Amino acid sequence: MTEKSMTSSPAVKGAAAKNINFSWNKLRTLAHDLVRARLDKSGGRIRLLMLGLFVAYAGIAAKLALLGLSHDPPLTLKVAADQAVSGARPDLLDRNGEILATDVKTMSVFAEPRRIIDKDEAVELITAVLPDVDAKELRDRLGSKKGFVWVKRQVTAKEQQEIFHLGLPGVGFLPENKRVYPNGPLGAHVIGFVDKDNVGIAGMEKYLDNQSLTDPHVAGFSVDPANLKPVRLSLDLKVTHALRDELVSGMARFRAKAAAGAIIDVNTGEIVALESLPDFDPNDPPDMTKDPTRINRVNVGVYEMGSTFKALSIAMALDSGKVNLASRVDARDSLRYGRFTIHDFHATHRVLTVPEVFTHSSNIGAARMALMVGVEGHQAFLRKMGQLDRLRTELPESAEPLVPKHWSELNTVTIAFGQGLNVAPIQALMAVAALVNGGNLMTPTFLKRSEEQALAASRRVVSAQTSESMRYLMRANATHGSADKANIPGYYVGGKTGTADKIVHGHYSSDRVLTTFMAIVPADKPKYLFMVLYDDPQSLPEDGGYHTAAYNAGRVTGRLIERVEPLVGVAPAQEFPTQPFPLLARLGFGFDADKVSKE
Amino acid sequence: MWRLLHVIAIGALVGSAVYVYSVKYQTIYASEQIVKTRHLIAKERDAISVLRAEYAFLTRPDRLQALADKQLEMQPLSLHQIVKAADLPLPVPKIDSIARKIEALGFLGPTATPSPGVTGATPSTR
Repeated sequence: MTEKSMTSSPAVKGAAAKNINFSWNKLRTLAHDLVRARLDKSGGRIRLLMLGLFVAYAGIAAKLALLGLSHDPPLTLKVAADQAVSGARPDLLDRNGEILATDVKTMSVFAEPRRIIDKDEAVELITAVLPDVDAKELRDRLGSKKGFVWVKRQVTAKEQQEIFHLGLPGVGFLPENKRVYPNGPLGAHVIGFVDKDNVGIAGMEKYLDNQSLTDPHVAGFSVDPANLKPVRLSLDLKVTHALRDELVSGMARFRAKAAAGAIIDVNTGEIVALESLPDFDPNDPPDMTKDPTRINRVNVGVYEMGSTFKALSIAMALDSGKVNLASRVDARDSLRYGRFTIHDFHATHRVLTVPEVFTHSSNIGAARMALMVGVEGHQAFLRKMGQLDRLRTELPESAEPLVPKHWSELNTVTIAFGQGLNVAPIQALMAVAALVNGGNLMTPTFLKRSEEQALAASRRVVSAQTSESMRYLMRANATHGSADKANIPGYYVGGKTGTADKIVHGHYSSDRVLTTFMAIVPADKPKYLFMVLYDDPQSLPEDGGYHTAAYNAGRVTGRLIERVEPLVGVAPAQEFPTQPFPLLARLGFGFDADKVSKE
Repeated sequence: MWRLLHVIAIGALVGSAVYVYSVKYQTIYASEQIVKTRHLIAKERDAISVLRAEYAFLTRPDRLQALADKQLEMQPLSLHQIVKAADLPLPVPKIDSIARKIEALGFLGPTATPSPGVTGATPSTR
């Protein structure tokens, strides 16, 4: 209004000057009021605003703290499903590419409890289609606050159809990987098994997980199955089947409590076959803690290996240079040691040559030879051969050998013929393989490897000459000694029996025995070492009541050689090598293995 | 003149728009096809793995052994079935046993066949 009066009446300047001044002042006050007074007057409003903002931020902070503290963050369906679904695993193949374990896709039924309207009805309908789902448990699961629960893993196509036709909201399907073992119990102890989430629990399956080749949940992303390379094991499926078949029939025939066997390639340390009975089907794995009879006896069992250990004692004596093959050992009388007397099972009561100690399996001879080397030398040798420490292979299962705490001369005497030291059979297998392969100790492996790789990772434990002597002794034992039941015509077999009395109520019992048999084929240039073990085999009337190793483990090994050698491409031969032991021949031990006196 | 140019310009605009859209839709179609094919491949892969597992299950050694025991009359090779080439008997000189037999029967000697001129019980055909 003032401005209008200013512009509209320029003619009355003088009279209006005072008026203008006044209105200018008024304007200034007004402007002043406009700027200042608002701030002054609205302090309450600002405070209100501040309070509002504070409450909002406090709310956000509280929610953040709550989220951070809560243990079960609400999951989206996708995240929950990704975490729950079984990951893909690489196939396990045998050395020839046969499938030992593979993944197949199956459907699993899941539910989102929050989206299910009538939970009781849903439970009723689902259990009508899937009768093996426990209704009460399912109701509890659906009643939980989780966003994702499994209803049933790995349903059949028919069940999937039926669930689908129920048309329940909040119930869906997810493809999952299911591990299958097409060969059932064959090689189960080596292959191992997985749990419902496809996580390795035992055997090579667990080894794979430990190598973190497969764990899909670690980095939060799942592994593309196409990128998984199959893993080749050292096992040969056909040979494993032959081994299991022979062990099973032998176990029934000799009514043994348990049996085990293994075949190792002595030049590479690869385990070509390994079985332990009773075994299990990895498709339906047992609870090992509840049923300890199904353990892998080759890796986890520890046993007194009996006369098989004499091979180690004699090799030690030969390698130390204290005896040679022509040396003689007094076995005329029993060996008295303190209040103990060492007898021979097949007593000869005469002075024996070293080959005779082996073929007659003389306890006295082996003990005397170990005493020549002495306690410390004996310990050092057994440690070098890996008999005193836990042997770790790829398999997660292993066992600590039972070594006497105070190792006196008496211990050396008994351990020389295989009593008083409990080792896992795979340790003995490793040691004997080293004794016959030229003297290189290599850790047994369940993965495929070449001879060069194995040799690079091995260490020399005995000389080539000692190794050849051991092969010679084993061959002589097959033709003239206790291993004759495994001397299969057509193959140049060498072998050693071992019968250990089992300890029953703290005493050695001669009725209950643990028999082992080790055989090498061919004895002049071994490729495979066979081991068969029977726990508590019974004698058969046609065997004259004997239950020693030759009658059960030895016989089974013989059948095994007859069966396995053609499988690995070795046909029986009419003629044997003319010069099987060249080093020994050059040293003047001109005798042939087949001519060691039998008595 | 200008009108003609305008018409050409509009025509070109519409043409290029049509072309761009067609390319766009072709791309979408192609990428859909790729996704579909990927799914198909995954499905086939799964089917192959199932078939492989099934094959391995059907050819597992204990099943084959049971079948072979039932259906085949075969035995493991044994040593007495193998013979060295040098141990084989030498071939005996060839004897014409039929000729020898004929000779033994005396058929090679002169025959007493009656001459065609002699009339027999049956009349000659000619």
